Amino acid sequence: MIRITAALIAVLTAAPARAEPAKPSAAEILDRMDAANNAFTDQTMEIALTVQDVDGSKKTYEFTLLQKGDTKRLIHFTSGEIKGMATLVEDRNSVYVYLPGFKKVRRVTANTMSQGFAGSDLSNDDMAITRWGRGWEPRLDREDETSVWLVLTPKADEKSEYAKVVHRVDKVRFQQMETHYYNRSGELVKKLEATEPKEFAGGVRRNMHIVVTDARTGHRTVLDTKSFKFNQGLEDDLFTVRQLQWGK
Amino acid sequence: MSARILLAAALLAPAAARADWTEHLALSGFAQSDLRFDVEDYRGPVAGKGYAFSANRTDVGLLLQMEPAAGLSAIVDGRLRYRGFVEADRLVQTTERDLVDPFSMQLDRAFLAVKGKPWKWLDLRIGRMVQTWGTADMFSPVDILSARDLSDPLDYTRKVPNQMIQADAYPASWLSLSAVFIPVFKPSQLPPSAGLAFAMERDPRGCLAAAPAPPLGRADAQRLAALFASTDPCALDFEDPQVRLVLPDNGIADAQAALRAKLKLGDLDLGLTYYYGRFSFPVAYTAVAKTAPSDDPARTRVQYVAEVVYPRMQVAGLDFSYSAEWLWDVGVTGEVAAIFPEEVDFALRAYVGDQKVFGATSVNVPSTPFLKATLGLEYTFASWLAANAMYVHGFFDEFADAYGLHDYVLVVPRMSFLDDSLKLQISAILDLTDLSKQENPELVWVPVPGAELSAGGWWFAGSTRPKDPIDYGSREKFGQKAAGRSVAYLRAKVTW
Repeated sequence: MIRITAALIAVLTAAPARAEPAKPSAAEILDRMDAANNAFTDQTMEIALTVQDVDGSKKTYEFTLLQKGDTKRLIHFTSGEIKGMATLVEDRNSVYVYLPGFKKVRRVTANTMSQGFAGSDLSNDDMAITRWGRGWEPRLDREDETSVWLVLTPKADEKSEYAKVVHRVDKVRFQQMETHYYNRSGELVKKLEATEPKEFAGGVRRNMHIVVTDARTGHRTVLDTKSFKFNQGLEDDLFTVRQLQWGK
Repeated sequence: MSARILLAAALLAPAAARADWTEHLALSGFAQSDLRFDVEDYRGPVAGKGYAFSANRTDVGLLLQMEPAAGLSAIVDGRLRYRGFVEADRLVQTTERDLVDPFSMQLDRAFLAVKGKPWKWLDLRIGRMVQTWGTADMFSPVDILSARDLSDPLDYTRKVPNQMIQADAYPASWLSLSAVFIPVFKPSQLPPSAGLAFAMERDPRGCLAAAPAPPLGRADAQRLAALFASTDPCALDFEDPQVRLVLPDNGIADAQAALRAKLKLGDLDLGLTYYYGRFSFPVAYTAVAKTAPSDDPARTRVQYVAEVVYPRMQVAGLDFSYSAEWLWDVGVTGEVAAIFPEEVDFALRAYVGDQKVFGATSVNVPSTPFLKATLGLEYTFASWLAANAMYVHGFFDEFADAYGLHDYVLVVPRMSFLDDSLKLQISAILDLTDLSKQENPELVWVPVPGAELSAGGWWFAGSTRPKDPIDYGSREKFGQKAAGRSVAYLRAKVTW
């Protein structure tokens, strides 16, 4: 789940448009993509996650996600058998979950975080990254009329299940439009596509629809943003264990 | 005109107020149906009677959360339980619905929480609630504030709610302090099979076959056994014991209080706890056996009255959870509780008529401090496979009495398939002290989000007979009849 939230933040979020006349380097493009992904002081989203199996069957879970900066997140699950559960991400190594069945807050181990969520195609290694520039080395691959293609390889100290990641970045707004994930055999294993852009106040543009596809099986996960608010002045106190367990 | 405006305002005002009010309300709940079948016929009260439905229950739970103002929250959490078995035994009673289809109401929580008052760093909570402390699940030796509700052994996370006052202080981001005051003691709710711990064993002829050993020293226990050995067991009408509770008074000294400090030190979460109160499970205190006149002059009627007590204790605890890359990201949890009990002396007397024929006392719980501990490991091998393993010294219902503290190993592999729609969990716990065990395989199918269908087994393995009939501590943990019967179950639950 942690990954889902991070992915949402990373892919759905976009800053106001800024056209640059000079051709930037791969590192500059990646920096701008990271900046676009994390352009808000805080944000609140209501999201529907639909898992689609290859046989056409679907299931949907809903949750509310609050984020401050590019690390602190609070997720409340609002539907399904996990309704009432809440997750707090203070940073990648400090994650807590409120379990309504136990009436207790537990710290989640980094290892447990790597579990998928509700059968979705999103894994922790996909989603824990909100700033690609921190752990990945970019190289300009190609460009077309609308997009730049960056090839990223993990830096020496970056732990990843992927050997290579390819981003398609919007040339004008530096939005992350697509991401392709390759394993160590060079095989495409996963593809993420962000579509249905919507304009918000202040020139903010946002992709409201994300599809993550398992390239080998055709299994899909669809993330639809039902509502989006940003720069609301969410207080730091909201992203604490105190808040996670208060009044429950 | 003005009258019309006033009337309209009067009619509209409640509607407007209602609209405001409902924005601060959240209602959720569940409906659950449980069907269980006893899959053996020897562990219950009467040998040979088994292979029957033992649960036919429907629960409807409702949770109402209200936040009428910022920093103010109220919780009302209750359930309606339809037990599913007819409790009428006379024709006239079948005219009463609550005997034909009996039900009960349970209010699990009803409390008020205030945040940041009177100081910004302080939260208060008052009302009916449960407490869960510690880092380990279920086998937590520091999680002793709320008594256990084991009325349904399969629903083993439930606790007996109680009135409490709780204050939580947050002086720093890495430190929190909690204080809880519980005015009135409540014992743990025991499973329906608990009474079998004191039940007499009879053979098919109805003759006394065995009696539960009292917590006496070996010499006294042998003397007692010799006393009964001289009597024809078929001539004894030994009634099942009446076991009375010796509950504490409701004075201030019998209240419970606890303190907790939680520290976040990098990858380590550390908790330090102190508890003053009572052990919530009963400990044998006295027993009196007395012969009484019988209608049949050839037979002897024996009445047996016992008392159990909930010993006062102080507990100093430490708990932690830790996970780090150098440890391959394995999650480690641990807890140690140092328990300082009050001494409990056990006394047994036997009378024939008014004449005392036997008397003995023993120290059932010495005042010597003792430890209970848990160490757990958690690891995710693949997206579909995770496992927990735990070592436990001292089950949650064990104390340093004549039964003593056993050691256990618990292993729980969990697997998920079909996009998490199908989950298999196999929980197995082995008592290293007596080698009895308990297993709980369970398959859960989530056909649509919010709906769960579960099928599983809750099986005990071990001897129902103690290895040494005069040794109080030789009953097998999961073998004894008091543990309950092995069942197979089917459960359907819808959460909204």
